[in-house]
Amino acid sequence: MKTEQLVELLARQAGPAPRHAVERRVAMAASLGAAGSIAGAIGALGLNTSLTDMGVALAVKLAYVAALMLSAAWFVDRVARPGTPWRRALWAVATVVLAMALLAATVWSRADETQRLDLLLGRSWASCPWRVAALSVPALAAVVWALRGLAPTRPRWAGFAAGLFAGSLGALGYALYCPELSPLFVLVWYTAGVLLPAALGALLGPLLLRW
Amino acid sequence: MRNDFEDQLRPIWLDAHAGDEAAYRRALALIADRLRGYFARRMGGLSPDVEDLVQETLLALHLQRGTYDTGVPVTAWVHGIARHKLVDLWRRRGRSEGLFESFDELADDLHPAVHEEPGVQRDLDQLLGSLTAAQRQAIVDTKLEGLSVADAARRAGVSESAIKVNVHRGLKRLAGLIRGLP
Repeated sequence: MKTEQLVELLARQAGPAPRHAVERRVAMAASLGAAGSIAGAIGALGLNTSLTDMGVALAVKLAYVAALMLSAAWFVDRVARPGTPWRRALWAVATVVLAMALLAATVWSRADETQRLDLLLGRSWASCPWRVAALSVPALAAVVWALRGLAPTRPRWAGFAAGLFAGSLGALGYALYCPELSPLFVLVWYTAGVLLPAALGALLGPLLLRW
Repeated sequence: MRNDFEDQLRPIWLDAHAGDEAAYRRALALIADRLRGYFARRMGGLSPDVEDLVQETLLALHLQRGTYDTGVPVTAWVHGIARHKLVDLWRRRGRSEGLFESFDELADDLHPAVHEEPGVQRDLDQLLGSLTAAQRQAIVDTKLEGLSVADAARRAGVSESAIKVNVHRGLKRLAGLIRGLP
């Protein structure tokens, strides 16, 4: 087949480029991942019945998780496109973590010395990251599926981005169960839980995101 | 790929992006010429490998054109895909280098003409022959005979979206066939 012939074949009846191809795929993966995470949290851990009494603490927690989700979704969108700058999206994720760190540091510095360890560890520090990571598994599968139909040219970074996004979706479900109120706890252990699938994604990216 | 090429390509590409078929044809032809130079420089001269890479990249551009963000230079996006395809080829060659070397040497000795006419040893009919009947029909109707998607759907007795899916999957399969050839 001559290249000229291929060009003719591709151009003929091609129509306009698909609109929002990346956004639509990422949104679909996000819906599947969020559904998996929420169903998993309620099914395996149970809904925390005192959520409504948590007030500001819950709002801060959810705001952090939502900000992570949005920035990581942007990161995934960027790495799905060849030749498209993506570092700013990575910085956006880092900025979200930094903002939460500032808040956590403020709360921590104002707290009584005797309470500080409690603010960090709460009652569930040992299980929190693993549960966040476990709840992110369906999301990770969905986001990797989404990226496999797109064009990531940096598979390791793409896997990392997929893992961050999946981790934040896992954290969303976990927040429905989590009894903790301290922003320091959320900063350290939620972020650790998000970084676990991110590390897994970075590891698997070169294997799974080939095209 | 220099800036003046971006200036030349961008308006044509944007027209193509919006659905202008003639602009798309022109844009792909312009890109193909550039890609040939790009790959030839990196592969040590013109060869069938170069033409395979050009074709593989054009197919990838087409299949992934939904990932183009209009805020980014077209050339940056094209280059991202071309580089990816080149690295992919090198990595695959690197893994089974011995195998490829002996195979290529043999092929060179037996078929010296292959290097003279890059790419023409596989014709389109042969490639289309390895698609499913539905994929082949969808591509032949819309891409070779130039039927509209609606007419092709009517002829095949399926929905318009089925035609589009079959064309897309068929082209994906073609890309895989070109990629799989040594």
